[in-house]
Amino acid sequence: MVWDLPIACYLFLAGLGAGAYVSAIVAARCGEKSPEMARAGRIIAPVTVAIGLVLLMVDAEAGFHNPLRFFYLVSNLSSVMAWGVIILAVFMVVSIATLLLDLLKKRIPLALEEVGAVFSLGTAAYTGVLLGVVKTFPLWNTPLLPVLFVVSAASTGIASVVLAGCAIKNARVHAQTLLAKTRLVLPCIEIVLVALLLLTTQGVQAGIDTVVGIVAGSWAPLFWIGLVAVGLVLPLVVSFVEMRASRAGGTAAVEGRHSSVAMCACAEAGVIVGGFILRYLVVMAALPIS
Amino acid sequence: MANNSDSASPHYGMLIDLSTCVGCNACVAACKLENETPTGCFNTWIESWDTGVYPNVFRANLPKLCNHCVDAPCQSVCPTGATYTTDEGVVLVDHSRCIGCKYCMAACPYQVRWQDELTGEVSKCTFCYHRTSQGMQPKCVSTCITKSRLFGDLNDPESDISRRLAEVEPERLHAELGGEVSVFYVGLSATRQAPQASGVCRGGDLESER
Repeated sequence: MVWDLPIACYLFLAGLGAGAYVSAIVAARCGEKSPEMARAGRIIAPVTVAIGLVLLMVDAEAGFHNPLRFFYLVSNLSSVMAWGVIILAVFMVVSIATLLLDLLKKRIPLALEEVGAVFSLGTAAYTGVLLGVVKTFPLWNTPLLPVLFVVSAASTGIASVVLAGCAIKNARVHAQTLLAKTRLVLPCIEIVLVALLLLTTQGVQAGIDTVVGIVAGSWAPLFWIGLVAVGLVLPLVVSFVEMRASRAGGTAAVEGRHSSVAMCACAEAGVIVGGFILRYLVVMAALPIS
Repeated sequence: MANNSDSASPHYGMLIDLSTCVGCNACVAACKLENETPTGCFNTWIESWDTGVYPNVFRANLPKLCNHCVDAPCQSVCPTGATYTTDEGVVLVDHSRCIGCKYCMAACPYQVRWQDELTGEVSKCTFCYHRTSQGMQPKCVSTCITKSRLFGDLNDPESDISRRLAEVEPERLHAELGGEVSVFYVGLSATRQAPQASGVCRGGDLESER
């Protein structure tokens, strides 16, 4: 395999950070506002992306030994990676500026967050396009991959912010409302996208071998248990249970919030684990044409 | 064939005749000595497997190397511009710009690039540019015991390789990907269709089970 764990981690962290940035905007500005969760998202966004970038640099060994070579990174603009570097640089600047304004208790201009949201989308999509343009690996070479990665970035980013909300007392109620509701929708979209990805990858032998390896071969336990069961089905089931409980219970449901906070946290943790396993499988299980 | 718009400048290419290749690996050893590649890293190698049914058994041999693509995917993905193409159509790596991101290794349809464990830099076949730019043959060509490898200027209709290409029906790897390459084979589809009665050896290593 050309790339392995560090790159899978980077793709996951970049997506999660991008999703967390947008989640923070939602928590700060929409519906029942939660400054605590917004703060959590604004911390998570630059920190996770920065960790991802460090992993990237350590993995780029020749550059790690000769750091000045990283300045060449934008010299070939026909490379998706060069564009990624520009997008990530802007995202880092904007997300750090947003966090600093928040920590200094200054008003965060809407325009700054709008720019940040655009570059969050760019960051999440770029991680998919990076692999998507590579014709050598049939699993990667599809426009579905950026879409899947954007949806997964949204769900893992939201999950990280809601998970933080579950831990912060003041934010618990909010944690279980607006953002958590997306947990009903995003895993469904992801299931469809993953199925489409696996179905459309089978044009050539290497694609068929890749798909067989994922659904029935050596990657099957990770795929079925890690991605499908823990990452997609568990969060969906919890969302359904929550929805039925809130419909049936009304005010009584509020009393029982303590146990459902734990349930919510489990579901969000599942989303995050699933998001990582998705990137890991895509990077590791793809076979080259031969 | 690889058409260079400026026909005055040479375009280097290679033609490998699989019907005469005996899989002796002399090219592999000569390349290794000439280019001093690290242990386990090869700029060219031969994939060999047994085929046929007794008593009609033979060995299929398929030498591989960088195909020196025109508009090479490894070059277009390289973010630092370390990978470039010379006027003669040879795809090279400027190691002083390589950060070792391995994007080129992922993008190469022929999987011919390798990373130096010590430096982290990525390398591959250079068509022995240090020799060929001085009018010499690549080492794998000059060492081949059956003259199965032919190297020369594809833009010169009078060159040995151009004349031979006109005589045979040259084939290439991954024609389905389109684009132009600089490495051609004689007897490629027959070799690739030869059923595998053994694992595939790549040099001295077993690359894949039967």
